[in-house]
Amino acid sequence: MTTTTVADVLRRLTVVFTEFERRLEQTPLIRKLTRGRFEMADYHAFLIGLRQQVKDGALWMSRAASNIDEDHLELRSTLMRHAVVEHRDFRLLEADFVAAGGDLETIRNAEKNIGSEALSAWMFHEASKPNPFGLLGAMWIIEGLGSIKACEWGALAQQRLDLPDTAVRFLLYHGENDAEHIGEFEQMLGMVLPSEAVAARIIRTAEVTARLYALQIEEITA
Amino acid sequence: MFDGERLAARLRFVMHSNDQAYITGVGAFLPGEPVPSAAMEDFIGRIGGRGSLMGRRALRWNGVETRHYALSPGGRPNHSNAGMCALAVRRALDDAGLGPEDLGFLAAATTQGDFLVPGHAAMVHGELGCGPIEIASFQSVCASSLMAAKSAYLSVRTGEHRVAAACAGEFSSRWFQPSFYEGSSLLDDKQRLKPQADYLRFTLSDGAGAVLVEPAPRPQGLSLRIRFIDLVSLAGQFDPCMWAGAGLESHAEALDGWSHLGPQAAHRAGGLALLQDFDLLKRVIRAWVGVYLKKVDEGRIVPDEIDHLLCHYSARSLREEIVSLLEKTNGMIPEEKWFSNLATVGNVGSASIWVMLEAFLRSDRLKPGQTVLCVVPESGRSMVGFMLLEAVG
Repeated sequence: MTTTTVADVLRRLTVVFTEFERRLEQTPLIRKLTRGRFEMADYHAFLIGLRQQVKDGALWMSRAASNIDEDHLELRSTLMRHAVVEHRDFRLLEADFVAAGGDLETIRNAEKNIGSEALSAWMFHEASKPNPFGLLGAMWIIEGLGSIKACEWGALAQQRLDLPDTAVRFLLYHGENDAEHIGEFEQMLGMVLPSEAVAARIIRTAEVTARLYALQIEEITA
Repeated sequence: MFDGERLAARLRFVMHSNDQAYITGVGAFLPGEPVPSAAMEDFIGRIGGRGSLMGRRALRWNGVETRHYALSPGGRPNHSNAGMCALAVRRALDDAGLGPEDLGFLAAATTQGDFLVPGHAAMVHGELGCGPIEIASFQSVCASSLMAAKSAYLSVRTGEHRVAAACAGEFSSRWFQPSFYEGSSLLDDKQRLKPQADYLRFTLSDGAGAVLVEPAPRPQGLSLRIRFIDLVSLAGQFDPCMWAGAGLESHAEALDGWSHLGPQAAHRAGGLALLQDFDLLKRVIRAWVGVYLKKVDEGRIVPDEIDHLLCHYSARSLREEIVSLLEKTNGMIPEEKWFSNLATVGNVGSASIWVMLEAFLRSDRLKPGQTVLCVVPESGRSMVGFMLLEAVG
């Protein structure tokens, strides 16, 4: 019998993330950004689009923590700490929006786009299950996006639009903040592995989350 | 390899049921003497008569200490790209104990041939001067080497040819000369060359390499059975990352290329120089790692079974987090298994992998039964090639 190790899961998650990056590169919004055709309206739409998922992030994480049993208290603590650290991030994002010339009411009243609806529904659905360990795969995607993609995008947007530092804090801060995340993530995987079923669920959850997250970006239009 | 196995391989070939292909000869040609970093600009010139500010940084990153140029100080050429390739093919034939008259197929690779037209393989064949043969030209960047090798490998495996050569050559220094940049928008307000152009001048150099492919191992000494050659292009997701033929601003649009602008306007737009997008390169490197880990995950590459790794990217130029990611995913091949002569011969683009393989075989590190993984990343429009070899004999 083969045992799926933490390293095996990390490798598969890295492959899933690569596929995720491929999809992101091909979305109209990111194409505009990398080809120098990104305008202020695109940046506004981008922040509006991101805000929904950022706001929900700490909420589904809290719900997931509440569904973790007492055999996995350390994982529960970790998720709760994550939720606390992140649950006000959407305020920072709103402040960036205003610093970039947007109107606070606009971003606060904006609707979720189709991708955000799907992503949010999926995350809460998964978080509502007993011991929702698959969500580690979702965290890999979403936090990987924060630590790897967000600062690239923030730097490009700042350069193209000549934005002040106060207007790109959310995107840039995430890049700096998440540098340690692989090590911490490895520890979390160690709390639920080895288990073939859990490993498979983590990979699958990462794949679905990546697809829905990319859909959210695809659906952002200025 | 046991003699019995060698006999069986020969028999399979005679009976036309052979489906193996072996590298039986390797040749490299590096023009002139090694040029130390301090003397580089005597060869590639000084833009506007002034030394480069970028050079030192580029050299620190790429780790190259000496390299070769196919021209003399001042820019007078001593070879052609095709001529260097032909010399490398002759050396590979010689290494295998064969001559040009034995050659049935020549696959030639380069980033940019001596002419725009005809193809590079025709020019190399012309320099070789041998009788009628089949040829194929492959134009890309570093990975064009493996495109040519795959063509040679398949032509031997299918029984189309008994002796096939794959060669690759670069003459980068000719288009690093100041005239390619002066009078173009690649110079900033202070008449300094922009880093996207200057970096490559301190990274790439000249030379050629070749391998010979046959359906059976050579009678004596080591041959390399080709287990597979896989090439994966990611051009569908990335814009050009290293390119020539369009300026810095318009390189995603094919219709803004040099041939549509006309030669003079193209020069003014910086469209005749070789350029690199550094921001994109970081994303492309991650994508290469993703392709590699997928091969590991599929069992196509088993890191523990690799005895030697040849890659013309140095391990130290990969950023720490990439190495750490490879280690944490059981994908890393330990650095002591990496063989490289990058520091002494420079980055010779498509020729690098053959120049490296030639030096590796001369180093006597390889033992029968051992495996050699060649990894050839190409930033051009993002692709990566893998070739797995097994020593027999």
